[in-house]
Amino acid sequence: MRSRFLAGLVLSFALVVPGYAELAEAAAAAPPDSLRSLPVGKGLPVVVRMGLRYVEVASIDETEAAYTATVDLRLRWQDLRLQYPPESAPQGFLEFREETAAAKMAEIWTPAISLSNLSGEPSQQTHGLRIFPDGRVEMMLRTTATFETPFEVERFPFDRQRLQVEVVSRRESVQRLSLEFEQDDLDFSRAPDSSELRDWAPGVVSLKRDFVNGWYGEDLSGVTVSLAMQRRAGSSAALIFIPLLASLLIPLLAIWMNRVEEGEFQIEAFELANVIVGGLFAVIALNFTLNAEYGTLGTSDNTVRRLFALNYLALALSLIVNLTLFRFNLPMRWFGRYVQEQVFLFLSWAVPLLVLATAVAFLLVAMA
Amino acid sequence: MKFQRSAPRVLIFSVAVVVIGMAVLSNRLFSGLTSAVEQDQFELIRALWSFNLTAAENRALERAEMIAALPAVREAFAARDREGLLAQCAEMFKRQKERYGVDQAQFHFPPAVSFLRLHAPEQHGDHQDQFRPMVVAVNRDLFSRKESAIAGTGPAIFGVTPMTDAAGRHIGSFELGMNFGPLLHALKAAYRLEMALFIEEQALRQLMFAEGLDPDVLTEQNRRGKYIKFHSTNWALMKELVSEGDLSGPAEAQYIRSAQDVPYGVVLLTLYNNAGNPIGKVAMARDFSSSRAAAGRSLVWQGLLALSGIVLLAGVILIVVRGLLLRPLEMLSQQFVKLAEGRRDQPVAEAETLCDEMQALAQAHERLRTKPQPFAADTDKEVSP
Repeated sequence: MRSRFLAGLVLSFALVVPGYAELAEAAAAAPPDSLRSLPVGKGLPVVVRMGLRYVEVASIDETEAAYTATVDLRLRWQDLRLQYPPESAPQGFLEFREETAAAKMAEIWTPAISLSNLSGEPSQQTHGLRIFPDGRVEMMLRTTATFETPFEVERFPFDRQRLQVEVVSRRESVQRLSLEFEQDDLDFSRAPDSSELRDWAPGVVSLKRDFVNGWYGEDLSGVTVSLAMQRRAGSSAALIFIPLLASLLIPLLAIWMNRVEEGEFQIEAFELANVIVGGLFAVIALNFTLNAEYGTLGTSDNTVRRLFALNYLALALSLIVNLTLFRFNLPMRWFGRYVQEQVFLFLSWAVPLLVLATAVAFLLVAMA
Repeated sequence: MKFQRSAPRVLIFSVAVVVIGMAVLSNRLFSGLTSAVEQDQFELIRALWSFNLTAAENRALERAEMIAALPAVREAFAARDREGLLAQCAEMFKRQKERYGVDQAQFHFPPAVSFLRLHAPEQHGDHQDQFRPMVVAVNRDLFSRKESAIAGTGPAIFGVTPMTDAAGRHIGSFELGMNFGPLLHALKAAYRLEMALFIEEQALRQLMFAEGLDPDVLTEQNRRGKYIKFHSTNWALMKELVSEGDLSGPAEAQYIRSAQDVPYGVVLLTLYNNAGNPIGKVAMARDFSSSRAAAGRSLVWQGLLALSGIVLLAGVILIVVRGLLLRPLEMLSQQFVKLAEGRRDQPVAEAETLCDEMQALAQAHERLRTKPQPFAADTDKEVSP
């Protein structure tokens, strides 16, 4: 009863610390000969092998740079003090789940590992524990939570995001505890079998060892697990790129709609200026809408921002053409009506060609 | 030939050829830079492997020499006290195996007769001179050697050193083999290299070492032609990067291939044993996406710049040739035609905006138009016989 109370207390403490899902560990306070002290039977550092499986990715929130997922963290180490006769476990190991696992974890040493990029508290967290006759311990931790992750949208909409889980040793320095992974840990670390996310296709899971700065200049061992998610470009094309490319046509229309006869323009400049001003408002409105919907797109250099810049540039170019040619006829005043006529004819195909070529180049650069 | 059409075409075509040529040249130069960077990466991968393999061999040899120099070990080996030798070394070997990747350790009598395998104490007395030439060589030449070889529990990095008794008489040799796995994982951790070790299956099977191997190694999933993947840091990735054809190719190879939508630079090197015989290959891959993406982006930007250059220069040609020359010439021609038809009422409009040469023509037209005309009767007289 007392051990259960203690286990519950330890787990409750772990769950209420915001931003961390720290596992129960009391090694720091435990005497060296206690089962809860660091298992130094195989020397230091204690090697804890880890793998992480993405069970489900429920949602991705680009605006908040976060995602909600359920992950299984598997930690394995060997504690020679926990060896027992193989006959005691007919199935090859002793298994503990939920409360019994928590109770057992309160009795033995377990690594103080955090999922350091949690956003808030996990909505669900369950434990499992297996102890093998030779002292090997395998601990499973299933966590459902929202994780913060960096989003890089430079290649939007052909971008690939990495949904990260940062696993960090919270207390022991890298000289005392080393998080490592090998082939079978990589085999365990898999993407979800199926995905409900319409706009994303899950790829592979990769693990990368890291070091995190701890207190007193110590390095803490860490592993960053990343699930590659490829964005399905098709869905964003309809929402973002068709309006963006369509709005590019407005300044071009303001050039095309005029016509020239013997160097004289046939449509008043102010009518075309109205078209340009209307285009400007349309682009500004689209910009606001996209920034509200896709916040990350507004904060870094990416294809969408470049296309917006191209839109504004095309509008400015169209306005300059409107003023210099249609309103003030500057080429005609300086070089004659025939030069003005040729300037207009040239601009009427060169501006659309260069603007559209630049837009295509932006998309190709994102695909490269 | 109509000058109005042909001249701009020839000029624009010439501009396009020159600009495209320069863009292609520029792209070749940039591709050369990218290739040079990638070649450096390949060389770095080779150097990393060579340095770390040599370091691992040195570590194996250092450990072997330290153990072989222990008086108690020498004494037990000289006395052919297998139990005593095992008692001296078992705990040491266990710790080395658990913590430092030491995989195999064995005492031999000359030329290469197993006296004690620390990793399998129950097996001894077998002659290994056929497949362990380095052990034979060490016991013959009496100096230490190191190599990568296939032995007891599979391929390993060995250091072999001769042993003498207290009186300095040669009594045999001691070898220590280190697993490739920790080396591959250390390289991955330090340099982000993905690695795979392939060993010739025939060598494994012929020598009947399979009994000491993990049975999971000799499976269809690990087979790549005549090779078996013995160890890998990420097999799901490496099996996409290394095909049977790649392994059956030249002793050393490098190439760039995409796996899981990421381009990787791959280096394949052959592993040789001390006798110079190939025992397998090691494949090393590094993410080349940054250099490949830079090359792709550069190609797109250069293409856009070339197109912009062609369009702008074509505009200059069209505006100058047509706006300053051909259209005024066309207008003046029409004026002269009207003049020839006797219509003198239309002067050249805005003649001051024409270029100097055209203004001379316009002035000539104006002089002709305003020149007083002779009477028709006088003309008739002159013409009539």
